[in-house]
Amino acid sequence: MLTRAQVLDPLIQHRTDEIVVTTMGATRPWGRISDSDLDFASADSAMGHAADLALGIALARPDRTVVCLNGDGSMLMTLGTLATVVGSEVTNYVLFVMDNGVFEITGHQSVAGSGQIDYAAMAQATGFQRVFFFEDARSYAESVGEILTQPGPTLVHLLVEPGSEGPISRDDREKGRYLRTSLADWSRIFKAALETKD
Amino acid sequence: MTEILHTLVAAGITHVVGLPDNTSAPLFDALSDHLWIRLVTVTREGEAFAIASGLWLGGASPLVVIQNTGLLESGDSLRGTAVRMGAPIPILVTGRGYSKMKKAGLAPSDPRERDLLTRRDIDSVALLTEPTLEAWGVPFERCEGEDDPSAVLARTIESALSTERPTAVVMARGFT
Repeated sequence: MLTRAQVLDPLIQHRTDEIVVTTMGATRPWGRISDSDLDFASADSAMGHAADLALGIALARPDRTVVCLNGDGSMLMTLGTLATVVGSEVTNYVLFVMDNGVFEITGHQSVAGSGQIDYAAMAQATGFQRVFFFEDARSYAESVGEILTQPGPTLVHLLVEPGSEGPISRDDREKGRYLRTSLADWSRIFKAALETKD
Repeated sequence: MTEILHTLVAAGITHVVGLPDNTSAPLFDALSDHLWIRLVTVTREGEAFAIASGLWLGGASPLVVIQNTGLLESGDSLRGTAVRMGAPIPILVTGRGYSKMKKAGLAPSDPRERDLLTRRDIDSVALLTEPTLEAWGVPFERCEGEDDPSAVLARTIESALSTERPTAVVMARGFT
């Protein structure tokens, strides 16, 4: 089982110009280590919709790889998005499912089917081009470069330890810059960054 | 349908995101191999707002097309993405139940009492659609009777862009 840092640190080391969409338990930790205008926090509730929001960005910008750092609780809310991803024929899309088995932000209540669901197999059966499953940090770290550069759609299922992140807010106390503005303002910062970094 | 397609192309719509119903099916058929507008079919309507918001973030110009039943399913997705983002997403909501409502002499403004919502000759979704849009802060225009669907849709798209917020047309009649 990986810690959250063991998931995020190799990712930021390999990141070049990829767009990263975060949600729930990944939002604050990613904001602590990344300060890119191409980060986007799907953190205003709409729980379950980070994966489809990221799909929309990927469809609009086929020249960019879009990484979504999803959780298992969020993934379960919109499993149909796996079919939508495949049906859209997107290739620049990488969906991480950070599976800790619990609703971390609300105090570690178990998600439905906790520990029993094989997201990689599910994605493969749906038609994802590439799927990965990791339960140890070393094999994951060795694969991150390939995960980010090979055509997808790609799903990465990681078994991670539950952390202790509380509810996410948008205010000046947050470390991550993308949480210190309103969603509307950050959306325009993000759009402008995408336009200027063509 | 040709006029609707011309309206979408003229307005610069790049993607249509949604789910078909009997009213919108001809539009989905016409878009399945369209040269300039890409069709993204979703599995549930809430997905459509998140995908459309992502498309807008990426510089595209999406239109969401869903039935009013699906609109009711989409509440937190619409609120937590397009509304919170101030994203100019036009929404074409096909109006299931409007003909029954009209036939019964009812209107969306009628009190939504138990007896009305449970009547077998009424499709309650028609009674709930416009109050829901109002509650969610989504401006809308109803297209009915002799209204020109293409003209109303064009106004809706323009309104979404000029006000920087999701804006809907409730299509209470067919497209043609």
